[in-house]
Amino acid sequence: MRLLVVEDEPDLLTGLLRALRKDGYAVDSAADGEEGLHKALSTDYDAIVLDVMLPLLDGWELLARLRKKKSTPVLMLTARDRSADRVRGLDSGADDYLVKPFDLPELRARLRALIRRSAQQARPVVQIGDVCIDTAARTVTRAGAPVFLTAREFVMLEYLARHQGEVVTRTDLYEHLFDESEETQSNLLDVHVFNLRKKLGTEFIVTRRGHGYCIE
Amino acid sequence: MNFPRSIRWKLQLWYGGLLLLLLAGFGFTAYQLESARQLRHIDEELQQRLPMLVDSQRPIPGDRDRRQFRLSTRDALLFDQTGNESFYYVVWLKHGEPVTRSTTAPEDVPQPKAGDPPNRLRGDVRESFLFPGPGDCVLVGRSIAPDLAGLRQFAWWLCAVGVTVFAAGLAGGGWLIIKALRPIQTISAAAQSIATGDLSQRIQTQDTESELGQLATVLNTTFARLEASFSRQSRFTADAAHELRTPLAVILLQSQNGLAADHLTEEQREAFLATQRAAQRMRRLIESLLTLARLDSGELSDNRAPCELNRVAEETVRLLQPLAAEHGASLTTELAPAHCVGNADELAQVVTNLVGNALVHNRSGVSVHVKVLIEDQHAVLTVRDTGQGIAPADISHLFERFYRVEKARTTAGGHTGLGLAITQAIVTAHGGMIVAESRVGEGTVMTVRLPLALRGADST
Repeated sequence: MRLLVVEDEPDLLTGLLRALRKDGYAVDSAADGEEGLHKALSTDYDAIVLDVMLPLLDGWELLARLRKKKSTPVLMLTARDRSADRVRGLDSGADDYLVKPFDLPELRARLRALIRRSAQQARPVVQIGDVCIDTAARTVTRAGAPVFLTAREFVMLEYLARHQGEVVTRTDLYEHLFDESEETQSNLLDVHVFNLRKKLGTEFIVTRRGHGYCIE
Repeated sequence: MNFPRSIRWKLQLWYGGLLLLLLAGFGFTAYQLESARQLRHIDEELQQRLPMLVDSQRPIPGDRDRRQFRLSTRDALLFDQTGNESFYYVVWLKHGEPVTRSTTAPEDVPQPKAGDPPNRLRGDVRESFLFPGPGDCVLVGRSIAPDLAGLRQFAWWLCAVGVTVFAAGLAGGGWLIIKALRPIQTISAAAQSIATGDLSQRIQTQDTESELGQLATVLNTTFARLEASFSRQSRFTADAAHELRTPLAVILLQSQNGLAADHLTEEQREAFLATQRAAQRMRRLIESLLTLARLDSGELSDNRAPCELNRVAEETVRLLQPLAAEHGASLTTELAPAHCVGNADELAQVVTNLVGNALVHNRSGVSVHVKVLIEDQHAVLTVRDTGQGIAPADISHLFERFYRVEKARTTAGGHTGLGLAITQAIVTAHGGMIVAESRVGEGTVMTVRLPLALRGADST
């Protein structure tokens, strides 16, 4: 899951990056509206956390320009909370709206819901065979027994599960699992896939040679 | 209206007094002038007759020193004995017939002394006299009773006219005063509604040149500045609260991040928890300030719909039951249907704040009774508790911002000190009022009165 956080307050930005990366998300950042728009247009993010008050290009304008080309889920973050502002935000294409100061657990939950909705899954629990993935609690069980995954492994599993039945290319996985700041080694994916297979069964993730991976 | 104190009645009284004085002065002068004129006319008539009396002295035949008085027949006609203006004469001669008088003359006319003024008034008789020679005296007189009667009639007539003019003057003056004071009533009405909180109210003036028009203009300018400064203040509060949100978000986020970190010492955990608690309290404070600023600016007033106060209370109380259970309190209701117009969320906030206060600020085991009824065309919500009560000194400050009854535990329970201020602001914004009554040791009753919805609104 790859996110973009557009926020001009540096301390808030680093805090958000740390918190979201801790959850296993790959998170890119932008400190102003133009950079944010550029990144939002050039990468397929799973969700964007967008501050309203931004230098160069404010959140409304960014959202309006983004919506002409992409339907990436957007969660607006703002210090204004009059209902008129909320209406404006939702009407101009924001998918959710959170007022500063926010509780981290709430932000996490809203982001999960946003990503879930954009993958057209209403329920937070995904059941594949005897493997049960609870995206809200971020836990995985196999035949009722808990399976312990690292954050990155969980995100990879979640991404594959969200695209169940589809072949997910290695490029897709790179795009959604690693952010711009990470020096990714090409075999890192193989390591995560190896670990997931070890924990969930060899047949759980199928390799389509030359194409990518798939959960059937 | 306060009769003796009101400007209108004072003016009327002064005006009436002045008018009365002027009329009396005028009437008195007119009477005096008229009576003087008549007297002068009478004197002229009398004096016209004197010379012929002087000429009527003739020497007594055979006695050269002595004279007698004989009036010619033609002259005697001037002393008509039967007419209304009956003149008489009396003549005293030193040498000759001592006293000669006309038949109409009274018996007891005293002889004037030399050096007396030429006219005199005896009762209702006017007399003029002349001294043709030493010791001689000629007097003409007449009764002025008819003239006096005429003057009395004139006086009555003056009185009648005076009373009429006075009455007309009073009525006209009263009308003028009312007309002149009407702008003051307009001003006072506008000021009144500004005093009750409607700062957008202005005095309607067409005429800006008159003194009151200028006053109204000055007042309107003052009102506009008042409104501007008030809205500036509430905008400032709102802006400040907004500006505080981002740094607060940083504090909250970083403390929550910190708590989520691995390998925290107990000390670090405590520090992060304390930071987080403080941040949460600031957050509630900011939200409360924003709510107040919004209520002050009247921003929420458009969000109105008919709602049932009893339903609002019922639902809110149901949500508060767990809190009551937590405090070992009993929370009961007695709800009669009451429709009013308002924002259900805000009204729920009122119920929450009042019930919450009753639960939180009292010892456990308190019983809280929520009642909704209709009384005097108002929807009335009362929240009655059997708690420790509030001291009379605190009651009057209860709705002030940041006022806390329990000063020692200012921040316990995360209360902002704005709850009742918000409650009052909401109630006021709904056109209602809130009253607190309490007896120490017995409990507190909070009463909220809201205007009932009109009949038409009930059906919707």
